[in-house]
Amino acid sequence: MRPENPAWRLLTVALVLLIGAGLYWATIKVNYQWRWDRVPEYLLMTGGEEVLSPVDGTVAVSGKQIILTPLLGGEPQTFPQIDVVQVSDGEIVFANNTLGKKAGVTPGPLLVGLWVTLQISAWSLVFALVLGLIAGLGRVSANPAARDMAAIYVELIRGTPLLVQMFIVYFFLGTVLNLSGFVAGVAALSVFTGAYVAEIVRSGIEGVSKGQMEAARSLGMSHWQAMRHVVLPQALKRSLPALAGQSINLVKDSSLVSIMALTDLTKAGREIVASTFSPFEVWFTVALMYLVLTGALSVFVRRLEKKMAHD
Amino acid sequence: MTKPTTEVLIDAREVSKVYPNGTQALTNVSLQVRRGEVVCIVGPSGSGKSTLLRTLNAMESITSGEVIMDGLNVHAPKTNLNEVRTHAGMVFQQFNLFPHKTALENVMLAPMQVLKHTLDTARANAEKLLAKVGLAEKAQSRPSQLSGGQQQRVAIARALAMQPRVMLFDEPTSALDPEKVGEVLEVMKQLALEGMTMVVVTHEMGFARAVANRVVFMDGGELVYQDAPEAFFSNAQHERLRSFLGQVLPH
Repeated sequence: MRPENPAWRLLTVALVLLIGAGLYWATIKVNYQWRWDRVPEYLLMTGGEEVLSPVDGTVAVSGKQIILTPLLGGEPQTFPQIDVVQVSDGEIVFANNTLGKKAGVTPGPLLVGLWVTLQISAWSLVFALVLGLIAGLGRVSANPAARDMAAIYVELIRGTPLLVQMFIVYFFLGTVLNLSGFVAGVAALSVFTGAYVAEIVRSGIEGVSKGQMEAARSLGMSHWQAMRHVVLPQALKRSLPALAGQSINLVKDSSLVSIMALTDLTKAGREIVASTFSPFEVWFTVALMYLVLTGALSVFVRRLEKKMAHD
Repeated sequence: MTKPTTEVLIDAREVSKVYPNGTQALTNVSLQVRRGEVVCIVGPSGSGKSTLLRTLNAMESITSGEVIMDGLNVHAPKTNLNEVRTHAGMVFQQFNLFPHKTALENVMLAPMQVLKHTLDTARANAEKLLAKVGLAEKAQSRPSQLSGGQQQRVAIARALAMQPRVMLFDEPTSALDPEKVGEVLEVMKQLALEGMTMVVVTHEMGFARAVANRVVFMDGGELVYQDAPEAFFSNAQHERLRSFLGQVLPH
């Protein structure tokens, strides 16, 4: 192969800069006020955590410790390590009054949202893999009923938009079964991703040479034993890169759970935009956070592919 | 060579097979194999010899006729096929070793899963069998690290691990480089000498002549001619057999 001319790379950089400049020029045209300085506080809050009084009561302050004696009787409660005490000794406070603040860094709404997104994705991935494996086996089953059921599942799910499925799960199933937003979100994402996993598993199984099943059966193994010990291990190994790719999609698709009463990364972004009117900075930040997640996953996938190529 | 007994181990009677698309693969083929006998099936490609072999352990269904193996009616609906197949070891042209397992694990898998052997029993047995086919030192190798001849010898050990009553060989040397054919044939010869009942679909006329008790010629889905090897190769009366032998035997 001929060595590449490094000038092409320079062209890439130039084009990216050009597009960036265009975007910047466009925002100037609409008089957009860039306020990047406000973004970090949504990632990490340095203001400290407020400590609220749980009940009405009288406080006793000694140093950094506050002792609250409830007005209506009961055990006094102790709050240690209040760095900024905002009440004075002997003061009467009411429920939800601020007692003081604990110093330190707490995760801001974007990081909290990222954590929710991670949790939803992880749970959904587990269930999607189980569901997809079962449906994938159904697709290649000798039993017509199993084959049909699996085909119906896959076609229904792949033929309808995820957002519509989310609405159905949340507003219909969620109401009937009284599901929380989190459970409904995980359910919808698992069922959706499971259909794609099923197709990956099916093509993985079909990719294993027929001779493998034959050899196993000729040794007296049952269909299931042959599947379990001979075909599936090879099929899943082949499918790993595609499965990893699907899990990247899952992370991105999880942004749609923000329609449910669930503050994931996307919903957190929306709430911040609503209160700050800084949509560009916030959405760019949110996008970057998704990119970090999916980027980490794809680096992992590439390592996996390289490792498997050596095996 | 040990003398075959008179006891019939495999009795294929009037076996026919028609594919759904109408192709006639086998037409009224009858073949008896006695315990301890080595039967070689030869014939041009597409003659139905592999198909016949594969009907013996029900890897291939049949349209009419029946196959009785050691008292079991192989193609009867109620027959437990897994049981039939434990009695018949099969060796394939493409080896079909399990690539995700070592040579030793390949040999151990079925005895543990099907015969419920313990790990220790299965391993001891597998080591013995690998030694028997001359591959004791390759026990921990993956199939991809083995030559074709070595893979086929592991495949033979794998089939033997089920302690079969008959070994079915489906063109076991056809996918091998010429210099690897000998080592596989040598293992098969050894098996024959030990009295194993064998049905071998092969193009190796030398092997058929030297090892077989009987050679069967198939053409166009029919069993055309069968005889002891000397008679088979020297005084072929049959027109189709003569032209086949004329093509495959060195002049």
